[in-house]
Amino acid sequence: MEGKVIVVTSGKGGVGKTTATSSIGAALALEGKRVAIVDMDIGLRNLDVVMGLENRIVFNIVDVVQGKCKVDQAAIRDRRIDNLFLIPASQSDNKDVLTPAGVERMAKVLRQKFDYVIMDSPAGIERGFENSVVSANEAVVICTPDVSAVRDADRVIGLLYARSLEPKLIVNRIEPARVERGEMLSYKDVLDILSIELVGLVPMDEKVLISSNTGTPLVLQNDSTAGQSFRRIAKRLNGETIPIEVPNLKPSVWTKLGKTFGLK
Amino acid sequence: MINFDNIAPVKLKGAGGGLWITIDPSHPESELIAEIDRLLKKLKHLAINADVTLDTGDADGQEELVERIKIHLENNFELGTISTSPQKRSIPTERRRQRDLSKGWNHHKSDVLMLRGRVRSGQKINARKHLVITGDVNPGAELTAGGDIIVLGTLAGKVHAGYPGNDGAMIFSLAFNPSLVKIGLITATGAGESGIQGPEFACVEQDSIVVKNYMKDNPFKRMPWPEVI
Ligand SMILES: Nc1ncnc2c1ncn2[C@@H]1O[C@H](COP(=O)(O)OP(=O)(O)OP(=O)(O)O)[C@@H](O)[C@H]1O
Ligand SMILES: [Mg+2]
Repeated sequence: MEGKVIVVTSGKGGVGKTTATSSIGAALALEGKRVAIVDMDIGLRNLDVVMGLENRIVFNIVDVVQGKCKVDQAAIRDRRIDNLFLIPASQSDNKDVLTPAGVERMAKVLRQKFDYVIMDSPAGIERGFENSVVSANEAVVICTPDVSAVRDADRVIGLLYARSLEPKLIVNRIEPARVERGEMLSYKDVLDILSIELVGLVPMDEKVLISSNTGTPLVLQNDSTAGQSFRRIAKRLNGETIPIEVPNLKPSVWTKLGKTFGLK
Repeated sequence: MINFDNIAPVKLKGAGGGLWITIDPSHPESELIAEIDRLLKKLKHLAINADVTLDTGDADGQEELVERIKIHLENNFELGTISTSPQKRSIPTERRRQRDLSKGWNHHKSDVLMLRGRVRSGQKINARKHLVITGDVNPGAELTAGGDIIVLGTLAGKVHAGYPGNDGAMIFSLAFNPSLVKIGLITATGAGESGIQGPEFACVEQDSIVVKNYMKDNPFKRMPWPEVI
C-alpha cells in the first residue's frame, strides 16, 4: 500500500510547525509505522537540530530532488526511535532550487518506502508553501491562540481548500491560566473562525524547549503535557477515534468533543 | 477573485402566451442577431405567430438597436406582434406595483450574487449589484458590492456596499462585527466587539454610517409590496 504525505503548515511563523512535525513523526513511528520527516524549510535548516541529528547529515533534500543521491542515502535514521527517518533541508542552497515538479517526484518515491511522510513547511504562502503542499494527501494547520496567527491560518486554509485538501487543525501553545483570565483566545474562539476538523489541543510546555535543545523526542517524555498531546494527535491522524483533551488548570478534567465539532 | 460578468448575449424565455427576448447590448449587434436567429430556429413552429417582447435588461438608451433588431425579426420570422419592453426607469409607480405583484420579476434578470459558505481571510468577493452570503465572513476577508450586502451569519472583515458612490445601500448581518465599513463614499471603522447581539444593519444617515437593530428598525418594513431589485 502507498504511504500518505501529510503537510504541516501555518502561514504565520514560529507557531510550532517544526515542533509538531517532529513530534507527530516520532509518535507515528512509536505506533509502529515507517515514517519519513522532510524538512522543506530550505535555508533555515532546523528539524535536524530539533531531532538531534545535525551531525549526521551527508546529503539533503536538494541532493535528492536534483538526483545527486538516492532517497535511502539522504534519509537519516533516528537514534532512539526505530522506523523514523529525516530528510534534512539544505542550508546553503538558494530557496528556488526546489520546484513543485521536483518535490512531486521525490514524494512518489517516499510514498513507496514509508507509511507516512510528514513535511515541515516554511512560514508564509510563497514558493516554499507551494513545494510543501504539491504532493500532500493531507494537511495539518498549526495555529496559536492569537489574532494574527488565526488570520494567517485562515488564509492558508482557504489556499488548501483551493487545492482540494481538507485541512485539520492543531491549536498549539495554549495557556489555560491566561485563557481563564481572558488574556488569550480560547480554542473555541479559534475553532469558531477556522471551523475545520480539530485534531488536537497542545498546551504551552517548557519541556518543548528543553527537548529541542537536547535533541530528545518530546513524545518520549511521559511528563511532557505537549508530548502526550502530540501522541494522541498522531493516533487520531492514524485513524483512531479518541476524545480531545482540553488543556485545563485541573489536568484531571477531560472534555469530550464531537468528532465534527465546528465543521458541520 | 470570482468573475460573475459572464452573461449570455441573448436570453429567451416563454412569457405568458408569447416570448420574451432579453439582449445584452454590450455584445456586437451581429453576434446578437446571430444568437437570436439560432434560438428562434431551435423553437421551429413554436415561434410562429408568437408575440415577442424585446428588452435590454438593465441597459437603457438602446432604442435604435432594439428597433433594428425588431425590423430584422419582422423580415425574417413569422412572428406575432413585436413589442419593446417599457423603459425601466420611467414606468409609473402604479404599473410597477402591478408588475411586481403579478410576478413580473420572472422576466427580469437579477444581478444578485448569492454565495454559500465561509469567506476566509485573504479572500475578496466582488458583486456587480447586491451580494448575499449565507455563511460567516471571517476577519481579513473583503466584500465589495454595487448594491446591498446581506450576510446570514457573522460579518467580520472589510465591507463596501454601494460601490462606488451609492450611499443608499445597506449592509446587514446576523452578527455585525466588521473592522471597516464603507457605504458609497462614506467610511467608518469598527469599534471592536459591540456587545450587542442579534441582527443589525448599517446605512447612511446625514452623511455618516449608523448601525441599527434590525428587529427594531427594519429598513424594509415600510415597503408596501415586494419590489424587484
Ligand atoms: N507547546 C509549546 N510549548 C512551549 N513552547 C513551544 C510549544 N510549541 C512550540 N514552542 C516553541 O516555539 C518556538 C517556535 O516553534 P517551532 O520552531 O516549532 O515553530 P515553527 O512554526 O516551525 O517556526 P518557523 O516558522 O520559524 O519554522 C520554539 O522555540 C519552540 O520551542
Ligand atoms: Mg519551523
